[in-house]
Amino acid sequence: MEGFLSTYGAAIVQMALAGVLALSMYLPLMAGQLSLASPGFYAVGGYVAALLSTKVFTGYPNGEYPIPLIVLEMGIAGVIAAFFALIVGIPALRLRGIYLALATIAFVEVLRIFALNQDELGGAVGIYNIPQPFFSATRIEYLVLALPLLVGAALFVARLERSRVGRAFVALREDELAASAMGIFPTYYKVLAFTLGAVLAGMAGALNAHILNTWNARQGTFDLAILILAYVLVGGSRTFLGPIIGAAFLVALPEIILREVAGLPGLNPVIATFLRDGRLILFGVLIAISVFFFPYGLITPSLLKSRRKKTPAEHIEPAKATPKVSGGEL
Amino acid sequence: MKALDQSSQQYRRLWWLASRGFAAVVIVLLITAILTTPGGLQNFFNGLAIGGVYAIFALGYTLIFSILRIINFAHGAIFTLGAYFTYFLTGSAVGFNGLLANQKLPFGLPFPLAMLSGGILAGLCGIAIERVAFRPLRAKGADPLLTLVSSLGVAVAIVNIIQLMVGAEIYAYPRNPFGEMPAALNLGTFGGLSQRPIIIRTTQVIIFVVSMVIVVLLTYFINGTKTGKALRAVAEDATTSSLLGINTNRLILITFFVSGLVGGIAGTLVGLSVNVSGPYFGINFGLKGLAVIVLGGLGDIPGAVVGGLVIGVAEAFVPSQQVAYKDAIAFAVLFLVLLLRPQGLLGRAVVQKV
Amino acid sequence: MSNVVFSKRLSVFLLVVALALLPSTLFAQTQEEPIVIGVAVAQTSNVALLGQEQVIGAQIAEKFFNERGGINGRPFRLAFADTSGDEAGAINAFQTLINRENVVGILGPTLSQQAFAADPIADQAGVPVIAPSNTARGIPQIGRFIFRVSAPVAIVAPNAVKQAIKQNPNIKRVAVFYAQNDAFSVSETGTFQQTVKDLGLELLDVQTFQTTDTDFTTQITNVLPLEPDLVIISGLAADGGNLVRQLRELGYTGTIIGGNGLNTANIFPVCQALCDGILIAQAYSYQYESEINNAFREAYKKLQDKEPPQFSAQAFAGIQVFVEALSKLDKRKPLKDMDLKTLRAELREEIMSGKYDTPLGPISFIEVKKEDGTPAGGEIVQEQFYVAQIRMNPDGKTGRFVFVD
Repeated sequence: MEGFLSTYGAAIVQMALAGVLALSMYLPLMAGQLSLASPGFYAVGGYVAALLSTKVFTGYPNGEYPIPLIVLEMGIAGVIAAFFALIVGIPALRLRGIYLALATIAFVEVLRIFALNQDELGGAVGIYNIPQPFFSATRIEYLVLALPLLVGAALFVARLERSRVGRAFVALREDELAASAMGIFPTYYKVLAFTLGAVLAGMAGALNAHILNTWNARQGTFDLAILILAYVLVGGSRTFLGPIIGAAFLVALPEIILREVAGLPGLNPVIATFLRDGRLILFGVLIAISVFFFPYGLITPSLLKSRRKKTPAEHIEPAKATPKVSGGEL
Repeated sequence: MKALDQSSQQYRRLWWLASRGFAAVVIVLLITAILTTPGGLQNFFNGLAIGGVYAIFALGYTLIFSILRIINFAHGAIFTLGAYFTYFLTGSAVGFNGLLANQKLPFGLPFPLAMLSGGILAGLCGIAIERVAFRPLRAKGADPLLTLVSSLGVAVAIVNIIQLMVGAEIYAYPRNPFGEMPAALNLGTFGGLSQRPIIIRTTQVIIFVVSMVIVVLLTYFINGTKTGKALRAVAEDATTSSLLGINTNRLILITFFVSGLVGGIAGTLVGLSVNVSGPYFGINFGLKGLAVIVLGGLGDIPGAVVGGLVIGVAEAFVPSQQVAYKDAIAFAVLFLVLLLRPQGLLGRAVVQKV
Repeated sequence: MSNVVFSKRLSVFLLVVALALLPSTLFAQTQEEPIVIGVAVAQTSNVALLGQEQVIGAQIAEKFFNERGGINGRPFRLAFADTSGDEAGAINAFQTLINRENVVGILGPTLSQQAFAADPIADQAGVPVIAPSNTARGIPQIGRFIFRVSAPVAIVAPNAVKQAIKQNPNIKRVAVFYAQNDAFSVSETGTFQQTVKDLGLELLDVQTFQTTDTDFTTQITNVLPLEPDLVIISGLAADGGNLVRQLRELGYTGTIIGGNGLNTANIFPVCQALCDGILIAQAYSYQYESEINNAFREAYKKLQDKEPPQFSAQAFAGIQVFVEALSKLDKRKPLKDMDLKTLRAELREEIMSGKYDTPLGPISFIEVKKEDGTPAGGEIVQEQFYVAQIRMNPDGKTGRFVFVD
């Protein structure tokens, strides 16, 4: 078990963080908004933590950086991300579907290039030697922070789903016009969902800056946005568990193919080589296949219901023929 | 209710006036800027040249959107495939890495023929992608957003298949495949409008011209042929058109074939200008391509060209001290355009269906 | 769609995943294995062009030194772990090599940014790392176990500028281009620009681009009216080559200096005949005459039918340092008597104290200090730097680097 943890420690922590990022995209999607801005807030959060821990909270020897300070950094990162979210969200959330997606991606790209050009942010090299709270080579200790973040975010979203606000989100997703006729003010709830997502992404970024020990402009890009979208849709966009499972699954998959499946004893060496060198081919094919077999995602509300039999049907069933994920056309 | 309608109508009219006024001011400012800044006309032509690349990438991309209302993330991969197919069809050898190391075809086609065949092969790949990643989901009536993920999966697979087969190295076509041509054209000073003679690379002129030709052909194909009319019917309402006896699946296959063909030829031409830099060659254009087709109005074929040229010219006019912010400025402009004209530059306002 | 079918599918899915998750350490064999050296470079992602060359260099070294008796008769084996292009991938690869493959040391990663993420892990685990291509400032300062065989460019860049002036004493007006998103190019251009000022040349303009850019017309047409007679480029193969090509096509006729990132035959297909005459600052020259370099060059040419690039040579040199240090250590204290932790720690000391005759020329390491003054890793001390000029063959596709210094 120890060997397993030391090999996969970092990957497990990354699975948890990917889950938080997936939730950060799931939140606006709950309200029918296809926003790809999460990587932008994630990058902001990372820079906030990197700057605070290397410039402000200095003086702690490596390995003894206080954990409460990291929590504080995450909090500050969340607040700053929320601030950015309000500035971007209020104008951008007038847009729908792909237009909103593109506007949010434009925001991510503008941030990336801005970061690349700031000397204070280290330019292409970025900020490095971010102080560590643990004397650790495995990074598994970071679960102390990553797991509560994930569980906290999950519980929060789960509570939200059952609350009045959550029902307002879902009403907006199902039919914005009807929702606003019922007295739900669309802009307020959209911006709220967007901002909550931004806070989660910012906190994930702040934590990951410590885990990676470095932060630079290559963190938080268009590619990451698409990957997070895949986490959400492969996992399922109708319940908070979907994005978390999707993220864990897709982060673990290439690692497992590479290090376990390809290493199974007795495997034909040609196949083993293919699995190693071509694991991303397999990864791509599996993504494509999974949305075919699980168009509602791996985890659906109905699946959860069939497991715990007597839960009241508070979830809105996906429509039979065309489950709608996004609000607008795509 | 009536009062509300009226005020929103007034609001809309005001908005229309304001946006037209804004557009006019922008255009006037642009022309003044082009003619007064030193090197402005040169920058303008540079912008057209860069924009030509964006446009030619976006054409196949936007075609699929115009029919299916979905984004095909695998388009960048098709673009890359077309470039590689052409390379091998000219009889050139694979590099020293990958499973196909040092292999080459026993024959070599002349470049224009190789380009066309490469395009056709890319078109066939487009068909395969439709069968694998799009049709099954369509048949299930799944959310269109899911095709985005499945086409992403296909793109990841294609990029990595390319790398496994032929390695990550840079591939380059022979020089002057269209016969002996000067590397750059000197367009002179335009009767003194520009202080310096304007120079422009020949391959970029070719790309620009070809993208114009493709637009004309595509527009004719969509508007002037029977197939095109059927396609438009499908785009309008797939269910009704299939009730009318139109074979929707066949038409969608044709769309994917044409999109792949255009994408493959585009990949070859861009590869001719800047070389095929590896398996991520086309993927790298994906983000700009998305920006271009949205700016042009999704699914609007002439719009894609206009969008490409506008972004190209905007980038070319970023002052040289700020060139590091070039992409940021392009996307910031995009953000603003989206807020002001979400239907795209050429698009008409779509009234929200109630 | 019934829930039963749905959950059945899901169960199968999860079962497959669970099976795959079973640590294969369960099946691990216990027989005496050869010494394992880890190689963690980018074999996928858009950095793979560089990683691919490093893999080849390391593989040549594996074959070459094992044929010469390995580590005092005991063979060694390379364990490869793909870092892909990102930081998390580099961390995963390092952890696999350290904990799963039980390597004595690691060659990698490809990018400096990845090194800042992954090297601290190896350092904390006490595993020596040799960076084959990290040139950013601060790499050996990460920790005691971090070394590099890739020289930062402070020495070689000025030589190239001096060589340009030697060839054309009339050079006065200089324009500089650099890839802004590449850590190496950013630090290299600083050195170049300082040299230009030190030599009393006029720095007309500095233009930036991204390594993913393909079109440089705007930057070029901004610069050409200033009439430079020397252009200095810091970038990588694809972008740098395209920049050279477009400079020439748009009518620039003066001298071009390419930074160390352009020191690869990969640029030949990009700028073809237009590459001719570029002065290149090199940390490795295949024309360097020595027994080991001749052997490496021959082995490489047999595999790839072209001259070896710097990235392969540096990877080869990295493996060589491991092998020679292990052999020396083995003579002092037999390796089989040490547990892995001690072996790694002893290996670190051995690497630091040794001198190595590599294809890069004779190299050794000097211990650097962290900012707080505590001892850190080993910076390369390299004697041989070169300035070469590209000469393209009449076919316009192949060419060679010709020594000029």
